[in-house]
Amino acid sequence: MRFFDSEDTLQTSLDAFLAEHKTHLGLVSLEVPLISNLPVWSNIALIRQYHENMPWEKARAFVLDLLKRFDMTGIAEKRTSSLTIEELFCAMLIRAAMVRDAVVVLDRPFRILPDHPDSQFFTDALRKVDDLIAEAHIFDYSREKERYRATDGAED
Amino acid sequence: MIKAIGNIGKAAMHTTSSLFDTLAFASRVFLHLFDRRTYNSACRMVFIHQLYFTSVQILPLFLFVAVIFGSLINGMAFQMIKNLGLTDYLGRLLMDFVVTELSPFVTVLLIALRSSSAINAEIAVMKVNRELNTLERFRIDPIHYLFVPRILNGMLSMVLLTSLFALVVLSIGLLVSSLVFGTSVDAYIDTLLHSADVLGIVILLIKCATFGFFITMIPIRLGMNASQDLTSIPIAVLNGMVKVFLAIITIEVLSSIARFI
Repeated sequence: MRFFDSEDTLQTSLDAFLAEHKTHLGLVSLEVPLISNLPVWSNIALIRQYHENMPWEKARAFVLDLLKRFDMTGIAEKRTSSLTIEELFCAMLIRAAMVRDAVVVLDRPFRILPDHPDSQFFTDALRKVDDLIAEAHIFDYSREKERYRATDGAED
Repeated sequence: MIKAIGNIGKAAMHTTSSLFDTLAFASRVFLHLFDRRTYNSACRMVFIHQLYFTSVQILPLFLFVAVIFGSLINGMAFQMIKNLGLTDYLGRLLMDFVVTELSPFVTVLLIALRSSSAINAEIAVMKVNRELNTLERFRIDPIHYLFVPRILNGMLSMVLLTSLFALVVLSIGLLVSSLVFGTSVDAYIDTLLHSADVLGIVILLIKCATFGFFITMIPIRLGMNASQDLTSIPIAVLNGMVKVFLAIITIEVLSSIARFI
């Protein structure tokens, strides 16, 4: 977890981190939304279909398995506009985890889940896909520290 | 006076620069057509969807237009030929005018009105929604994933739908011909085959593919010009559609020149 006092310092540090881990980056951020004219499963499967030429049937089955871990198979055919914020977050997280040896970065997750009092939801979500992820990093503002309930290892 | 000349110069420079940008973008996309990475599972899926939207969903409207146009054109042409006693020129008229000129022109207008505008708006919306940023972050080349499947679909759809249009019109021609002149099916086909010119058909196919390339490439390029504001979407679509129209006229003129040469 990395906390920053201002938006500028957070953005600079995030940009440097993203550039450093470009090849295995799985970014979860409002700045990288789901593609609105694709259903959820296709948004997620796209990563492996494109980078590994995975056949669509196999990619779809894989995505459905991952959605099952979140009890969200029902959203597979939905578009972004009809998702709840929790479903949206999970879809973005699974998409990020689809990158091979993913370095998952949660960019200010409370901007996606503003009504959540603490980080429980996304730490639980991260655990559900931890077999697919090499590393997970959270970038957020210092003012959100309380919501994470833990500040160990945090940097300013 | 000097200001007016300056303005004309500025406009000319802007147009020239825009034309060169479009041609540079076209050559980049064209080179990607031969890149193996373009044909991965994700891009193939986009291509199939696009082919369905462009060539299959349009079929009822397209066939309706083909039948209406076919009936009108054949009715007029056959009546004129009969009145002027030019029955020997029936095959040439059908092949040179209906197949080579009318079919691609009506097809390109229908595809441009329906699909080019949709592609233009779609790319502009993706730009405004930062969805292109998503592709970049996940190292997905938009030329591979978004542009080439749409352009390839435009080229293939143009060829397929032009052929279908020509087939429908020629079939109606057979019907009218047998009613007006009492021509048999064999005689009608024989007339058409004798009037068919291989070079003309090759030029027709190249023309269709060129139409398809530009009426999908231009909306994509202009859609990419949208800014982060929602208000830039209609401007991008408007500019794109005007340029698509100019491209259609230019290709039509160039193909006519090629045929006459």
